[in-house]
Amino acid sequence: MRFSVMLSKLGEGMVTSVLIFTLTLLFSLPLGLIVALARMSKNGLLRSFTRIYISVMRGTPLMLQLLVVYFGPYYLLGIPLSSGYRFWAVIIAFSVNYAAYFAEIYRGGIESMPAGQYEAARVLGYSETQIFLKIILPQVIKRIIPSITNEVITLIKDTSLAFSIAVTEMFTVAKAIASSEKTMVSYAAAGVFYYVFNFIVAFVMETIEKKLNYYR
Amino acid sequence: MKKTSTLSIAVLLIAVFLFSFSLVSADGETTLVVGFDQDFPPYGYIGEDGEFTGYDLDLAAAVAEKLGLEVVYQPIAWDAKDMELDSGTIDLIWNGFTINGREDKYEWTEAYKDAGQIILVKSDSGIETFADLAGKVVAVQTDSAALEALESEDFAELTASFADLLVVEQYNAAFMDLEAGAVDAIALDIDVANYQIEGKEDSYKILDEWIQEEQYGVGFKLGNTELRDKVQAALEEIVADGTFAEISEEWFGYDSCVLSVCQSAGE
Amino acid sequence: MEIFSIRSARKTFDNSLDVLQDISISISRGEVVAIIGPSGSGKSTLLRCATLLETLDSGELYFSGERAAWNNENGETVYAGAQKLREIKSKFGLVFQNFNLFPHYSVLKNITDAPLSVQKREKDEVMRTARSLMDKMGLTEKADAYPFQLSGGQQQRVSIARALAMNPDILFFDEPTSALDPELTGEILRVIRALAAEHMTMVIVTHEIEFARNVADRIIFIADGVIVEEGPAEALVSNPQNERTRTFLNHFQR
Repeated sequence: MRFSVMLSKLGEGMVTSVLIFTLTLLFSLPLGLIVALARMSKNGLLRSFTRIYISVMRGTPLMLQLLVVYFGPYYLLGIPLSSGYRFWAVIIAFSVNYAAYFAEIYRGGIESMPAGQYEAARVLGYSETQIFLKIILPQVIKRIIPSITNEVITLIKDTSLAFSIAVTEMFTVAKAIASSEKTMVSYAAAGVFYYVFNFIVAFVMETIEKKLNYYR
Repeated sequence: MKKTSTLSIAVLLIAVFLFSFSLVSADGETTLVVGFDQDFPPYGYIGEDGEFTGYDLDLAAAVAEKLGLEVVYQPIAWDAKDMELDSGTIDLIWNGFTINGREDKYEWTEAYKDAGQIILVKSDSGIETFADLAGKVVAVQTDSAALEALESEDFAELTASFADLLVVEQYNAAFMDLEAGAVDAIALDIDVANYQIEGKEDSYKILDEWIQEEQYGVGFKLGNTELRDKVQAALEEIVADGTFAEISEEWFGYDSCVLSVCQSAGE
Repeated sequence: MEIFSIRSARKTFDNSLDVLQDISISISRGEVVAIIGPSGSGKSTLLRCATLLETLDSGELYFSGERAAWNNENGETVYAGAQKLREIKSKFGLVFQNFNLFPHYSVLKNITDAPLSVQKREKDEVMRTARSLMDKMGLTEKADAYPFQLSGGQQQRVSIARALAMNPDILFFDEPTSALDPELTGEILRVIRALAAEHMTMVIVTHEIEFARNVADRIIFIADGVIVEEGPAEALVSNPQNERTRTFLNHFQR
């Protein structure tokens, strides 16, 4: 196999990995916030429900969750699956799993906000929605960026779990080439791809962190 | 700034939708979705040109053509093959798929190829017989026919004599281990072994004793005899028109067909 | 003319000694009133109830003649609807002990954001008001600075400007000097005096007797959730009538 062919195959896998990564963040970051708010809600039922959800998501392997999300509709409900669902099952499972981790990070951030910020805003007449969106959330985001960065980096590496339901992302491609070509080169190339990916993500997160450093 | 990011998200979503629609469902009506392990040369793997290729995949393509179906190669996680087949995301498994020991778990075509599970060692290891494997580390792929055999009662004594029976995710890792000396032997399919040591025949050898002789077939979900019968008929057709022999020569240098039609033709 | 009154206020907590037992106070336009008392006397709770940060168990609240809270037939406080309370909230301002500025907003934005996004006032007018307030507070140079870049005294002046930008009828102060170094107390004292000269109505909770005496027209002494004594500032400090007031004042003037 020519090196260029290998790179283009790995590139295709990379596109899948990047799509999984991007879409997971796109869905799990807002979902995590909703879960965090439900977790802190005054409604006891909602609170216990989200507590169970978070503990299940964090207490079981992501690979198992992938299998459940993908094969669950068939085995539990008898719905025949279409292959186009594979990719979406990955996105659903990843988003729902990461939302649980993000929810706890958000919650920690929100609970760390001093009561004085709420009181100052209330006295000034801000509505509860305004208080959350204008006063609390921006400060929470600054506080939780380092923890979010950790999860985001973990997510890059977790994308390789997608192959447990046959979504061929980069690492799977690297393995397949390694076994057909009897070579380690594809692993090395995949390693470089991952490193560059991580490097870009770390750079972006660092830039965000710096941008938020205009205040303390 | 806001506009461009909204736009790029929209473009991304559209791209993903197109991406997901390009995948097809395994309905067996317009397509024939072939489930296989892409780490399993020479039966199914990524070829020189970056496309899926292999002996079994070529046969599947020829059969699909006879059936007027579009062949779709779906690499799967081998552990999940039963779930994939049951839930209908693949039509069949065609992948050096051993019938022996699995007779009742799938609907099978007739065996189309003989094969067997052997032990591969380094030539300079001094290992000649099963007895020499005592105290050695033997690697085997997860969920494979070789593993099934070694875990059966027939081989309980042999397996117990190993220092360790190392179950690996895929053979390639086992070959790296063997080369590096981390494992002493690999239990695997004869043809996979031959493919892997091609060009390095001096460094490796296959023990004369075999673990198991077996046969490969195409596996379908239990109850799906309709598609099985169609594929069986198409297999016989490609034998009749010589396509089977051609594919077989290309991959193994001999006519590997063991279908009953081949045997009667040979007599 | 009465700007603010709290009538027959009662409040108890499950796990705190800080209680209010039948407190009534009325504040007239232009008056500067200091509320003093030992810690745990209820003065802080009184301020939090007056500024709607806590709810009363029983009692009434009026701002510029508008009813914010009243008693139902069981004698329990009920509050006006959300819309009404929002209107009433722009009639008073509160300056916190710890300033509670919004750290992610510049000085200018801290001052202008609520008038713009809560009161929905004209941008030009709000900017003019903010500029003149910053000018008055000596903050003009700091318009684009962030709270962490300011001294405690400057931060407290920003929080006063923030409250004033809402054009309140009355301004409440919760221990405005106790988070500051003693030498900065004078800075805040000058600001409050300047506001008094403009007839700003102010209620200041403090435990600093000298500060109260210097700034207030009237002093109210609270202990154990009741008003023990009240009167003109100078008279109450120099010639307290009640035994408990005397003990408290002696304790501080030692």
